Amino acid sequence: MNAKLERVLYIVVIGILSLVLLGLGKTEVELQKKIPITAEELYKKLGNPKVTLQIIDVRPYEVSEEEEDEAEEIDYYTGAHIPGSIPLPDCDESKAPEEALKQINPYLPTVIVSRDGDPEIFKKCAKKFTIVQNLKGGIVAWDDAGYPEDEGEYEPPAAGGGGGCL
Amino acid sequence: MSMIERILWWIGILALVVAIIGVKIDISKLEQKAQEVSQAATEGGEE
Repeated sequence: MNAKLERVLYIVVIGILSLVLLGLGKTEVELQKKIPITAEELYKKLGNPKVTLQIIDVRPYEVSEEEEDEAEEIDYYTGAHIPGSIPLPDCDESKAPEEALKQINPYLPTVIVSRDGDPEIFKKCAKKFTIVQNLKGGIVAWDDAGYPEDEGEYEPPAAGGGGGCL
Repeated sequence: MSMIERILWWIGILALVVAIIGVKIDISKLEQKAQEVSQAATEGGEE
C-alpha cells in the first residue's frame, strides 16, 4: 500500500477513536452528575492524598446576630463546615467572600454541599463546574455521621488551589 | 512506511481502544448506580 495513503488511514482511524472516546467521556461526566456522593464516600476520598477534590459549600456564609440564637450551627458556613470547603452561598459569586472566589476552579472535580443535599441548588450550581457531584443529605448527613468539621471564617490554603483536605 | 512507524500507529490505536473499553465499563457501572439512585428516589417519593 502507498505509504502516504496508509498514514492517512491510520490518522482517520485514530481520529474516529478519539471522537468516540470524547463522546463517551462526556456521557460519563453527565452520568456522574446524576449520582450523589455519600458522606462516607466523600470522607474516604478526602482522606486519599491522590484525589484532588474541591468542595463548594452553598449554604449562607453567616447569619445576622438576631438570627444566630435561632439558627443551628449547620445552617451556615461559619457555624460548621467541611474542612477545606469553599463558601459560595446560593452558588452566587456576589455573595462569596473575595478570598474564596480566587480559590474556585471550575475544572476541578467538585462536590456541592448544601444543608440537606437540595437537588435544585445543585442543578443551579452544576452548570458552573465541569465535573460535579452533589453531597447526598448535605451537611446534615456529614454532621450525623460524625465526620470532622471546622467552624469560623473561610481561610484560604497557604499554597495551591482547590480545597478539601482532612 | 517503516515497521517502527507502523508499530507506533498500532500502539496508538490499541491505547485508544483500551481507553474506550475502560470508559464503557465505567459508564455501565454508573448507569447501574444512576438507576438505583432514581429507583430509591421514586420509592422515597411514594412513601
